[in-house]
Amino acid sequence: MSGTKTVSRAITKALPKKNLWTGTRAIAEAVKLVDVDVIAAYPIRPYTGVMNSLAKMLADGEFMAEIIVADSEHSQFEIAKHASAVGARTFVGSSGVGLAYAAEPIIVTALGQLPVVAIAGCRALDDPGNFGMEWNDVLMFRDHGWLMSWAKDPQEALDMTLVAYRVSEDHTVLLPHFVSVDGAAITHISTLVEPPDKDKVGEFLPPYRPPYPLDPAYGPVTKAQHIAPSLIGPELRKVIDNSVAKSRDVIKRAWRAYSKLSGREYPIFIECLGMDDAEIALVAMGAYTKDVMHVARKLRQQGVKAGVVRLRYFRPFPNEELTEALKNVKAVGVVDFSFAYGSPNSSGVLFNDIRSTLYESTSRPTLMDFMFVGGREPSIEHFEQAFRLLKKSANRGSSERQVVWPTLKGESS
Amino acid sequence: MSETRLIKSIKDVPREDLYTSGHRTCAGCGAALGYRILLKAAGPKTVVLGPTGCMYVANGHQFLSSPYAVPWYHTQLGAGGAAGVGTAAAFRALMMKGKRKKEDVNVIVYGGDGGTSDMGFSGLSMAMSYDYRRFLYVMYDNESYANTGIQASSTTPWGASTTFTPSGKVRRIGNPRMKKNVALIIAAHPGVKYVATASLYPPLDFFNKAKKALEANGPAFVHLLVPCPKGWFFDPKYTVDLSKRALETGLWILWEYQDGEFNLNYKPEPRKNVKDYLRMQKRFEHLTEDQINEVERMTREEWEYWKEMDKQKKIILPWISPPWA
Repeated sequence: MSGTKTVSRAITKALPKKNLWTGTRAIAEAVKLVDVDVIAAYPIRPYTGVMNSLAKMLADGEFMAEIIVADSEHSQFEIAKHASAVGARTFVGSSGVGLAYAAEPIIVTALGQLPVVAIAGCRALDDPGNFGMEWNDVLMFRDHGWLMSWAKDPQEALDMTLVAYRVSEDHTVLLPHFVSVDGAAITHISTLVEPPDKDKVGEFLPPYRPPYPLDPAYGPVTKAQHIAPSLIGPELRKVIDNSVAKSRDVIKRAWRAYSKLSGREYPIFIECLGMDDAEIALVAMGAYTKDVMHVARKLRQQGVKAGVVRLRYFRPFPNEELTEALKNVKAVGVVDFSFAYGSPNSSGVLFNDIRSTLYESTSRPTLMDFMFVGGREPSIEHFEQAFRLLKKSANRGSSERQVVWPTLKGESS
Repeated sequence: MSETRLIKSIKDVPREDLYTSGHRTCAGCGAALGYRILLKAAGPKTVVLGPTGCMYVANGHQFLSSPYAVPWYHTQLGAGGAAGVGTAAAFRALMMKGKRKKEDVNVIVYGGDGGTSDMGFSGLSMAMSYDYRRFLYVMYDNESYANTGIQASSTTPWGASTTFTPSGKVRRIGNPRMKKNVALIIAAHPGVKYVATASLYPPLDFFNKAKKALEANGPAFVHLLVPCPKGWFFDPKYTVDLSKRALETGLWILWEYQDGEFNLNYKPEPRKNVKDYLRMQKRFEHLTEDQINEVERMTREEWEYWKEMDKQKKIILPWISPPWA
């Protein structure tokens, strides 16, 4: 332990502007930077470290906020929702079955048009108490008006959290936002992180003011009253739909502004590697994209025209950008940490959205889904194998098997 | 802290209503009457959270009109406690950080017995363990999930026929469980500053208790019994009368607990037979004379405990042998 600390200190000293932070710590630093007012905490691995860090910061007087140690994830998300309605900037988070327990408040937070920002430390759902990495916990809410982004490392997790507040609180959007970080692969990994200057964050993110605060100082607002569906049911659904649609431009503007502020150039919806000439490509999200890109670079050195597309946002889904990026590719594979039992070909959630996207495309590549489900960690070899299978499919013009479970015992390539 | 200004006459009740027209509650709705009294006591600097229940469904739905002249936000069925804490935390944070003017704002949750004593119990308990001032949770208890069509909750009294505990040809008794004493459980929370029970009678009792609760300098809880014509099956004109009879028979005890001191607010002496209350309501009509005597026995035994508590000024957990013993 102390050895690690010594090394960490030595690195931090050598690079004074950068800090060796875990993903959870990096996110906590973002929450401090945006001066959040109300935090609701409840423990579940692997996101818990964010709240541990925040609790310590508050105990040490690094910033001021109310932190509520809730009795459940359900209460946690309700606390954030109602604090946000009053006009407080809020922060909340969870993982795995914790998100399942909070499903009800999570859903109504979007309908209430409340810009709650939540961290999701992605974790497999029970049973048994699986603490591996899967996306199905966050993806449960993919259809409910939450914006969803996936970070690839602690630095991006910090940056995405800051940008999430700016996008969510924009009055043309006013939607909650999940910043998803792959469990263990980001939450528990330390890398060098450079936080932006506090003054610059203040300019980037103006104070939050809901259009109709639930505060007697602003008059008697009645919110989320019971209604007959015939009165405004479809209109309420459409309002959220419109807000999600409008978020696309707001996201673009926010990242451009943030790139300027931080000096780090970020792609907006998708990050591409080798897509100018790629014949085969893997589409991925999150931390493991770094491994996928590593494999693709090696293959390219060997003359294989391999490419990678990393989705930074899942909601709104970057269908235009993805279609454009994949237009000349012969075979596309999805690095999928999600499952959707009984869906077309019993493939993954991410795969299903990509397949729907490509239906609109004039060029339809051969598709394969590589399902890394159940929490068993993939290795470099799995991604090499995925590219090999894609190459075969590209040569044949079709895939032998559309859905492959590379980490499943007994599954052969 | 200034002394709470209690009122002694009905003439001193503020004329202004903050729970007004625009709802469609049943004729004789006890919960609606409670709402009106509560908001009169609280005044305009108040936010109200309404968990799902009668006071959510019946106060909206039809006309896109709102009966609330103070800020009001729905919260999920089991989320009253959390919603209250979230709201109170926001006000404290914003005031502490200079983002909002410092002043007293009441945060009130008006939740039904199902959402409070069943589903929302964990969140309520959490809420009562924090130290938010001017935070009051009122559980309006109509002794069933009334808005969904009268299903038993854990505050439904023993023997009551509900749609989930109907009196049938074989199972005659109706609800086989005994009413949960929510206020006593809340009183066991060390941080809670004020706990009371109330009903719609005597007229000023609930008004004054709401005032005391809001000025108790910490979380407060009032368990409010509200007769329900639809669920209890009685003529709507008897709503207040039934509140009175519940007290006179000892089936509902008025008490309050503050700064470690227990007090009875109404002593039914001589206590009337429970028949006076039970026979007014069709939900108990299947009870035999023996079963009514059983309720009378339990009420008599329990009343001894309440008297003793009043004497000692301390809470003692009543224990009565259940009807199935």
